[in-house]
Amino acid sequence: MKLWALSKKEAQDILGNKIYLLVVLVQVFIILGAFGLAVASSVVSDPALLDQYGITSNIKVGMTQDLQGSQLAQDLEAQKLKLVYYNSTQQANQFLGGQLAAVVTISPPGEVQVQLDNANVFYQVASTKVRKAVNNFQTRRILHYSGLTSEKIKAIQEPVTLKEVPVAENEKVEIALESAYFVEIMYGFIMPFILLLPFFLASNIVTDSIVGERERKTFEILLMVPLSSTMVVLGKIIPILAFSLIQSVAWILLLDLLQVPIFNTLLMVAVLFSMGLGFIGVGILISILVDSTKEANSAITLVLVFATFILFVPLFIKSGMFQGVFNFIPTVLMVKIASTPVIGLEIMLYLLPTIVISILVFLVTVRSFKHERAIRL
Amino acid sequence: MIVVFNSFAANLEAEKGLSITPSLTGFATLDVEDQGGLFSKRLNPEILTIRNSTYEPALARLEKGLTNGFFVVPSDSVTLIQNNDSLATVLYLDYRDPKRSVIRQEVNNTNQALSSALTSSYLESIKSQNNTTNTGVNEKTSGESLPLQIVRKVMLAVLLFLPLFLFGNLVIDSIVGEKERKTGEILMAMPFTSADIILGKSVAVVLTMALQVAMWMIILLGAGFPLKNAGIVYLTVVLTALPIVGLTTIIAAYAKNYKEAGIGISFSYIFIVGILIVPLLGYLSRPSPAANISPMTLTMRLFSGETIAPGDILLSFAFILILSLISYGISIKLFSRDDVVFGPRPGIMRLTLELMGLKKRGALK
Repeated sequence: MKLWALSKKEAQDILGNKIYLLVVLVQVFIILGAFGLAVASSVVSDPALLDQYGITSNIKVGMTQDLQGSQLAQDLEAQKLKLVYYNSTQQANQFLGGQLAAVVTISPPGEVQVQLDNANVFYQVASTKVRKAVNNFQTRRILHYSGLTSEKIKAIQEPVTLKEVPVAENEKVEIALESAYFVEIMYGFIMPFILLLPFFLASNIVTDSIVGERERKTFEILLMVPLSSTMVVLGKIIPILAFSLIQSVAWILLLDLLQVPIFNTLLMVAVLFSMGLGFIGVGILISILVDSTKEANSAITLVLVFATFILFVPLFIKSGMFQGVFNFIPTVLMVKIASTPVIGLEIMLYLLPTIVISILVFLVTVRSFKHERAIRL
Repeated sequence: MIVVFNSFAANLEAEKGLSITPSLTGFATLDVEDQGGLFSKRLNPEILTIRNSTYEPALARLEKGLTNGFFVVPSDSVTLIQNNDSLATVLYLDYRDPKRSVIRQEVNNTNQALSSALTSSYLESIKSQNNTTNTGVNEKTSGESLPLQIVRKVMLAVLLFLPLFLFGNLVIDSIVGEKERKTGEILMAMPFTSADIILGKSVAVVLTMALQVAMWMIILLGAGFPLKNAGIVYLTVVLTALPIVGLTTIIAAYAKNYKEAGIGISFSYIFIVGILIVPLLGYLSRPSPAANISPMTLTMRLFSGETIAPGDILLSFAFILILSLISYGISIKLFSRDDVVFGPRPGIMRLTLELMGLKKRGALK
């Protein structure tokens, strides 16, 4: 009951902070912005999606006038690329890096010359499509006089075919964009970033919790409250942890609404709870150890930089040597939990260090608070 | 951080497919039946956990959700290839799993790589038989890839501007600290104007930032980063500190305590970083003079050694100057008001209307 009273008072303090509430709202724009960026970058790098949205015609390929209507031009047009004709290759090359993504010409001996602008935003798609068109043109040119049957020619042009058989199509999980890059970037980076954002943004509230009481000369009153040190620390942690968790759950629902389904929600909340307990515990520990809010803010900034490094760098590093260690990093676990409908029990083993570290941080925080109490009273 | 960026850029350069994608080891699971072993050894093991299997156990695992897909290659694949016959592969995909598109792409990539290799080798044999000539392709690329530009140029620009965001607490402490320590009244009673106080405190922070940026640049140059036009790059970064400190002083002048100011700067710095970085990213994808409004774009162009039109430099500096004048003007005005500094503090909306002259100060409605 006493713990509830302290938590309620802390919760009221948090809710009374208008800027914190504004920050909560700002997160919605951050999430929508990150989602939009993921969609845009996925569409830009995917030939099928560019065709689907009719954007391929914006990729311009330069050719010389003499190739207008040629087989090569037809093959490039079949890839839905927009052809622009120039009097000479030199003239076309002047526009490469500007409006042209590629210049395709045939040299006098018959060699196909392809110049691609690596810096073009559509480089990947332009490169794939031009290469495909040129390959088709070359294959047709070589097979023209071979005397092979049309069946054989088809087998040579497309020696390996792929048939896709959907399994459990009636239970299909809808995803905002049927793109490998979108799935990788959303689950592999944006999802953990979004779900951890409330904990990062709560850092200023946390650092103020003890040192703020000292600065406002209310710390001694807090120490005289008939609550054990564990209960006081819990009373400080519970409200901000609850608010951050509520926000994370809200962002899970928002992601579901945006058709980025998050699986194993309960397990995900458990991971977030463990991480939140550890993270907020560190914040309170800093608040106990420092002499002023300014010092606490500087220290938590350093912790944030360090935490970002530990949590997000493993998501972008390929390392056979450290892969075993990376499996225990909570963000790596979050990726697996969120993107896999059926999760194996071994995940609990990987989760163990996060839980143990969080509990240890909590215990150290309580011990530091007890020490502080002994000095003050 | 420098070491991480360097190795990240080196990794990007070393790999053929340049993209900034998370390295998700074992992201998806794929069961494969490929007796010839031609396909399974070419599937990407960095993103797929590949498991050799047969039809019935694999389908049972698929049904239970233990694997995301099952890829079947005909058992006589090697013979079919030797006879130049078409090879039909089948991919069973679990549609309950969002990672299906990742598996589809990986299998497609493998099939296409093998297809190209087979077609090329067959065409080579025909060419040698028919003595066909002049059918080659000469492919060249120009310019630096977008992901590499992002890592090399954007990251370097971010590193240069980073010190400007590390000293917000100094500004907050020097202004909000006066309020919290109840020394604000003494400060206001001294023979200084509000402008003297705000500008004096800001200059101290800007000088600290300038020193930090100088140290940063020396380290970057020492680490081998190609920073051209170092002098003007330094000047641009330091000048950008002026409006950033100015905006921070607005928050500090209005905030009641450290907590409020801390959250305020977290929020406003996200916004400022957005203003700096979005035009820069826009410039990389499509160069436009308007992108120079962000000093970060100008800095990136300067250290990359680009030829820059005087108008572009002027646009960036004009933006810095206008934003500085506005931000310091607002914070001086706020700091000169007793109600803002000592309370009772007016609401943000009312204050905005008053500053815009749309409402008289002290008017209730």
